Amino acid sequence: MLLSEKVAVVTGGATGIGRAIGLKLAEQGASILVSDINEDAAGRTADEIAALGVQAAAQVTNVVDSGATDAMAARAVELFGRIDILINNAGVAGAPGWYTRSRSTEEDWRFTYGVNVLGSVNAANSVIPHMKSARYGKILNLASIAGREGRPSLPHYSASKSAIINYTQALAGELAGDNINVNAICPGLLWTPMWEQVGGRYARNDPQYEGLAPRDVFEKMIAANIPFGREQTPEDIGDAAVFLCSDEAKNITGQALNVDGGFFMR
Amino acid sequence: MAKENAYIDLTGRVAIVTGGGNGIGRGIALRLGNAGADIAIADIDHAAAARVAGEVAALGVRAEAIEVDVADQPSTDAMVKASLGKFGRVDILVNNAGIGGAPGWTGRGVGSTADWNAVFEVNVLGIVHATDSVSAHMMERRSGKIVNIASAAGRRGSPGFAHYSASKASAINVTQAFAYQLAPYGINVNSVCPGVLWTSLWQDISKRRLGMIGDSETTGRKYFEDRLVNVPLGREQTPEDIGNAVAFLSSDRAASITGQALNVDGGAMMN
Repeated sequence: MLLSEKVAVVTGGATGIGRAIGLKLAEQGASILVSDINEDAAGRTADEIAALGVQAAAQVTNVVDSGATDAMAARAVELFGRIDILINNAGVAGAPGWYTRSRSTEEDWRFTYGVNVLGSVNAANSVIPHMKSARYGKILNLASIAGREGRPSLPHYSASKSAIINYTQALAGELAGDNINVNAICPGLLWTPMWEQVGGRYARNDPQYEGLAPRDVFEKMIAANIPFGREQTPEDIGDAAVFLCSDEAKNITGQALNVDGGFFMR
Repeated sequence: MAKENAYIDLTGRVAIVTGGGNGIGRGIALRLGNAGADIAIADIDHAAAARVAGEVAALGVRAEAIEVDVADQPSTDAMVKASLGKFGRVDILVNNAGIGGAPGWTGRGVGSTADWNAVFEVNVLGIVHATDSVSAHMMERRSGKIVNIASAAGRRGSPGFAHYSASKASAINVTQAFAYQLAPYGINVNSVCPGVLWTSLWQDISKRRLGMIGDSETTGRKYFEDRLVNVPLGREQTPEDIGNAVAFLSSDRAASITGQALNVDGGAMMN
């Protein structure tokens, strides 16, 4: 197995893409700390991962709080003895209630920047000392195709994901001398609870999607933008994550890989 | 045969690797063979292809050496025909054959018209020819993986090596066009951009640059190692690294990835 003996921390690991990444890493032998703000869901996912025969535990974490991310890293080391892999997956699409608004508010900008960008910075800062002392580490940031090009619908979200791609590059340069690889994945269109809300917002605000059900917005957007004509799945993202966090990719760093059926080609 | 529970399992798949007789192409052929694929090693140098075919066969998969000149469409047609004749199918095409310029390019400080033409014929049209030769078969089966070997030089023009850089930028662009064109048929088309590897190309580049500045003291290897200052991870890449990326992109693990160019360059370029 590609990740035998490795230890991974997955933020936002309880549901959706984070859950799939945890399961895929575990299938390759990694022990997983499922970090999430939702305690019940994190516990369920940790149980699911443990059933694959690896070690797994849940840790309640609000990534905007650097004390919480420090505690998260300490817990992983206490339980599993090390941290080889950090998956910065925790993310939001806006401040609470964002999907009911037609325009981004200052609160949406601040909240999204706080979780998506500073949350990733906090978690990275908490694990980096452990990785540096081992002179080994893989950090994978979940960006988005929204970070490849600003779109009018969710400017605060696009900007936060663009910042993640840029942060990936900066951190890759900073940590390369310590043999730590830092990369990003840009998922395309996945039918997650977040997208259900995104679809609703499009249906209300964008004339070409007016009045459509969220799933119909989603499918129309796929048909118009994705050469492969199909949605991506959390498993697709998990498969790419395994590759980038393995030694098969030991000479890949600072890259953002689109897993989007060809939506963006850059 | 792929090891049991291998992450990348290409057992039963058939791959053609152009320029498979040496360097990066050999590394790709060995990695895909390791993952269980049968391999057609296509090269203009038949003896080199035959040697690699022997190495690949030793992994326990089937291997066939095929002589090809990718600049010549009938030759790539014959390459695909021979692969189909031997293996009955082609699942993966790796367009790796490439050159640094026309014969004698290492003696020229900037690319001549002959160099521009030569890299266009091999590095760009070579991809087009081989893809055109295999795509009908893949389209019919509604499945296929094509991986083009571009270069970090295709991400940013390289001084004195404009002809090569431009050809590799074209390779990235051609990858995108074919990705769109073939997506409706379930075919993934991606490229890999290798950084600095101690293969014959970089040995030639080193010799050329040292020749230009009249330095007869420094060895080519030393010149090459000095270039690693531009690589954040501080180490050269290897044919195995490129093979790993190609194996991933050739597998169903990358089913939703198409039209992308993946830098395997220790962080020299970040896209």
